[in-house]
Amino acid sequence: MTAPRKEEVAMMCPRCAWQEVRRLAVSPVAGVWEVLQCARCLYAWRTTEPDRRTRRESYPQAFRMTRADIDAARELPAVPPLREGA
Amino acid sequence: MAYDDLRSFLTALDEQGQLLHVAEQVMPEPDLGAAANAASRLGSGAPALYFDDIAGFTSARVALNVHGSWANHAVAMGMPATTSTREQVEEFVRRWEDFPVPPERRADPPFAENALEGDEVDLFSVLPLFRLNDGDGGFYVDKAAVVSRDPQAPDDFGKQNVGVYRMQVKGRDRLGLQPVPMHDIALHLDEAERAGEDLPVAIALGNDPMISIVAGTPLAYDQSEYEMAGALRGAPAPIATAPLTGFDVPWGCEVLLEGVVEGREREIEGPFGEFTGHYSGGRSMPVVRVDRISYRTDPVFESLYLGMPWTEVDHLIGPATCVPLYQQLKEAFPEVRAVNAMYTHGLLAIVSTAKRYGGFAKAVGLRTMTTPHGLGYCKLVIVVDEDVDPFDLPQVMWALSTKVNPAGDLVNLPGMSVLELDPGSQPPGISNKLVIDATTPVAPDARGHYSQPVADLPEAAAWVGKLQELMSRK
Ligand SMILES: [Zn+2]
Repeated sequence: MTAPRKEEVAMMCPRCAWQEVRRLAVSPVAGVWEVLQCARCLYAWRTTEPDRRTRRESYPQAFRMTRADIDAARELPAVPPLREGA
Repeated sequence: MAYDDLRSFLTALDEQGQLLHVAEQVMPEPDLGAAANAASRLGSGAPALYFDDIAGFTSARVALNVHGSWANHAVAMGMPATTSTREQVEEFVRRWEDFPVPPERRADPPFAENALEGDEVDLFSVLPLFRLNDGDGGFYVDKAAVVSRDPQAPDDFGKQNVGVYRMQVKGRDRLGLQPVPMHDIALHLDEAERAGEDLPVAIALGNDPMISIVAGTPLAYDQSEYEMAGALRGAPAPIATAPLTGFDVPWGCEVLLEGVVEGREREIEGPFGEFTGHYSGGRSMPVVRVDRISYRTDPVFESLYLGMPWTEVDHLIGPATCVPLYQQLKEAFPEVRAVNAMYTHGLLAIVSTAKRYGGFAKAVGLRTMTTPHGLGYCKLVIVVDEDVDPFDLPQVMWALSTKVNPAGDLVNLPGMSVLELDPGSQPPGISNKLVIDATTPVAPDARGHYSQPVADLPEAAAWVGKLQELMSRK
């Protein structure tokens, strides 16, 4: 795996309220938007999206995610057993 | 008319009045998703959408709803935009018979114009990525052809798979991948993971319209999508050799990503608004590491909107879903007349058949569920008589309302397989399945009172012609 090239920005994940957020991209036209990503639930958003997608207080309950949700997420597909000798 | 790349298809759509160039500046969100969502509500003649002024981008080009109507699907097939759905499906079946048509390998693919490798790899620098639905976990690549090979048979051209799998963009060189267990890439990944290895993949974005159609088609495991593309487009499919993986990829693609599905890795993915009209939920899914990006200069980023059906994906996959079911049923039961499996990828299928004897229609329904595609879909199968057109839903509803007595016409099977995305399945991937026998009972099945049907008058056919002519003179 290549080393993550992450830049920390002070912000809260709208979906899971985690405070480690990294910058994935900035707009080719300087200063228009940034794309941010939560380091825990991997939710990604553009800073110019509507509040319902970018602000914790406006983020819909139905789409929120917790640490427990992440830990309980089912594997799809499940990792198979290693073949003998592999 | 066979198109060798996305651009020539967009030109053809434009010439036929089926491409809407949105010239005003739009926001990447929510405008692009909302516009494609809206296009899918415009009915059978909806146009493709083309955007080239998106806030914050300098040279972004985005095409949406490219296959998003029956008119566009007809143009993709080289047929008049006004061709009826049933005629399009019948022509699809006819061309399918020409399989296999060997591909044509070409040098100098347009995607060789530019490349990023290693640390330079940055999906965001090449693709104008954006979000579709409010609850999506992020930005998605949802209309790409993913090429993989069977690790046990890497030189078997037929077992090389080309499929559409949704991919969440999780980093500059990182994608989440959803391989549904019924699909071929899941078999390839399973082999690689049992051996403790990564699975190399090549991901082609922005393809000629037939590659997108065959990549969404449920072919047999050892059937080549390229050889089917040749049959369906009526000319050999142009392919090129991918520079990093050596895989066979669509020659005309706009962007080619190459890398590996990291073996034995899973990571939180989703949710994503799916073709079922429901979100998929967050699951722990495989991850792709992108090691190389090749791309045409100023690539067109093609994407599709997914959400409450019908949307583009239903037009893209609809005819293709009907054909293998029709053909596989026909092998066992020549009495089968037509199959309409266009609803939610065939979670519901309608089969028209003649009968040999009492109970026969139920057997046809059961066989539908045990075809390779039926195993993951075909949760509800409605079987209708040979004179009912399964594409004419008022006729189907007539059959349901008059031919069905729940006392003897429902076959309810517990514990059957279905794809996990079916929101009704419990646990995910397991569901009851139901055959509804909406055919007229034949001997020795003697239920009901069906001996006195009302037939069209013998003179009615002539009157149809006469009335049509009078209308056309108005
Ligand atoms: Zn989060």
